[in-house]
Amino acid sequence: MFANFRLSMTWLHTWFGLVLGYVLMACFFFGTLSVFDREIDRWSIPETRFPAQPMPSFDNVLKPVFEKLRAHPDDMAATAERVIGPLPHPDTMRMSSLYAYTTHRDPVLGVGGEFDIPNKPKDPTDDHLHVHGYATIDPRSGATLSDDQLKIGSEFFYPMHYSLHLHWLNLGYWIVGLAALVMLAALVSGVVMHRKLFRELFTFRPNKSTQRSVLDLHNLTGVVALPFHFFFALTGLIIFSGVYFPLGETLLKPLAERQEVLQADRTGLAHEPAGIAAPLSSVDAMVLEAKRRWDKRGMPGEVGYLLIEHIGDQNSFVSIFRAGSDQVASVGQGVHFEAATGKVIREDPPPTAVTAVNDYLAGLHLQQFRHWVLRWLYVVGGLAGCVCIATGIIFFVEKRKMQHAKANVGGARIVDALGVTTVTGMVIATLSILIANRLLPADLPLRGHWEEGIFWLAWLASLLHAFWRTAPVLQSRLAPAWREQCWTIALLSVAAVLLNWITTGDHLAATISRTYWPIAGFDLSMLVVASIAALSARALGRRERNATDPSDDDQDEPVETAHA
Amino acid sequence: MQTTTDPMRIIARVTAAILGSWLFTWGCAALSIGTMVASGISYDQASVGAMLFAFLIFVSAFLWSFVATSIGRVWLTLAGGGTIMTLLAWWLQRSLIG
Repeated sequence: MFANFRLSMTWLHTWFGLVLGYVLMACFFFGTLSVFDREIDRWSIPETRFPAQPMPSFDNVLKPVFEKLRAHPDDMAATAERVIGPLPHPDTMRMSSLYAYTTHRDPVLGVGGEFDIPNKPKDPTDDHLHVHGYATIDPRSGATLSDDQLKIGSEFFYPMHYSLHLHWLNLGYWIVGLAALVMLAALVSGVVMHRKLFRELFTFRPNKSTQRSVLDLHNLTGVVALPFHFFFALTGLIIFSGVYFPLGETLLKPLAERQEVLQADRTGLAHEPAGIAAPLSSVDAMVLEAKRRWDKRGMPGEVGYLLIEHIGDQNSFVSIFRAGSDQVASVGQGVHFEAATGKVIREDPPPTAVTAVNDYLAGLHLQQFRHWVLRWLYVVGGLAGCVCIATGIIFFVEKRKMQHAKANVGGARIVDALGVTTVTGMVIATLSILIANRLLPADLPLRGHWEEGIFWLAWLASLLHAFWRTAPVLQSRLAPAWREQCWTIALLSVAAVLLNWITTGDHLAATISRTYWPIAGFDLSMLVVASIAALSARALGRRERNATDPSDDDQDEPVETAHA
Repeated sequence: MQTTTDPMRIIARVTAAILGSWLFTWGCAALSIGTMVASGISYDQASVGAMLFAFLIFVSAFLWSFVATSIGRVWLTLAGGGTIMTLLAWWLQRSLIG
């Protein structure tokens, strides 16, 4: 099909890069925002703007919280679809397991539980007969936060970057997985395409033709951040390998199930309940013992993850994991207790080499540890990825628009319009959900759903605008859509900062003098975004005017043919 | 340009690259997990270990689908190889579980 190796790589890079570049852009952009998901949560839920808290006392704070916790209506509805007959009333369901999870950046605590149901599944191989309940609480008081409030960072932007919020048949995961695979392929093929890789590392000619400088920037960001991009695409795939290769639930299910039983025998952590009722002894005492053991190992720490299995049964056990604030792996050093007596069943041994490598790779991707410099470097790397993908799309248009204009075909225009939608339109949608969050009435029922709706509507509006205002591409001119959406971004970013001030009183002078960085950092970043957008809009305006000036040297340079 | 624009040939390549490589990786992962379990490594360790390499195999197969001259050989290797490895993994599991 291809005359030689280089041409096959070029074809692959161009066409897969174009088709999945739009998806990749969303993964990289929302992935970048996820680096500061907890801080975005604070901005979007002002009553949670207080310092991060350690895991609270189980006996005094969490126990009453779990007693009140019920199956969530959303999961009731989802489960009802999978099982035969009506589900019992949430008040009558028994909680069989529970968890609480926190990190060094969390003022609020996420808790959840699984409730047993007597129903038979519609699909006989479906062995997940639980309904889930979950809540976010203020760990200082145990008060539950309203479920109508959306944690925009950790509940919207974060899942967006790996699932696109497309849950039907896990379609979003599969599209993102394919995009990540294509990212890996594009990096390899991108290197193969270029003979002068090392020289391109240092080449950027911003004042040459748009096509030339866009290609330089594409190569520069692609090559400089190549290890970063490769790492994140690959570890993202590894983290969700259970979705892409569900061997343990299908082909190798018998082996996986045998392993679970063997593991329970080996560790003493019961796989099944005994069916004999038993009380729960003091979990706080177990936490103290776990901390004492971590101290003894020379690694004092806080509880990151707490888990109780087979609640109320003789086989019930409590697992306490250390928060990974000072290590790459998210959590670890688990200590497991018999729930009824508080006796230690086992202390996890140091991980095997395979587990250690896997935890390290996943931990480096998920970044729950404390390292603010690295956290910002992730943002730089993520944005470099966005620039690399965006310039790839723009280069595609720049290279073809003359030719398409002469042949009177609209391909370049469609690509450009979709480019506008995924580059500037995505930022507009992001700013719109944040502004909606500050403008919608505080007690609006299903407030989070409204916010999400406004996000998608704003994105749709930017798509329509992009298709309307890219008409000049048909005459091989620069689309005004880019400039107009840049101005919109500048306006919306400033509006977000002002609205935060008006609705919460947290203006920049106050948050900086209080050194409350989650909000100060957010507002400052918004102002940086506004400045970049305004400068870009002005630069685009100049290019548009110059393009009509015949003395301009644009368009008439010979351009490298590496990108076919 | 020397590149074909025949849509059928492009579809054959693209589907081989995506579906064929997926099936090949699936078989490869299943068989390596099976072999590791047979040699005494626990299932979860084998599974985690296999997944660390699975996507590197996937992307290599993906790239190769476009480089190889004969599309027939691409399909035969990826789909045939994937199916054979899947069957072998299944047979190995049956002999392990008994």
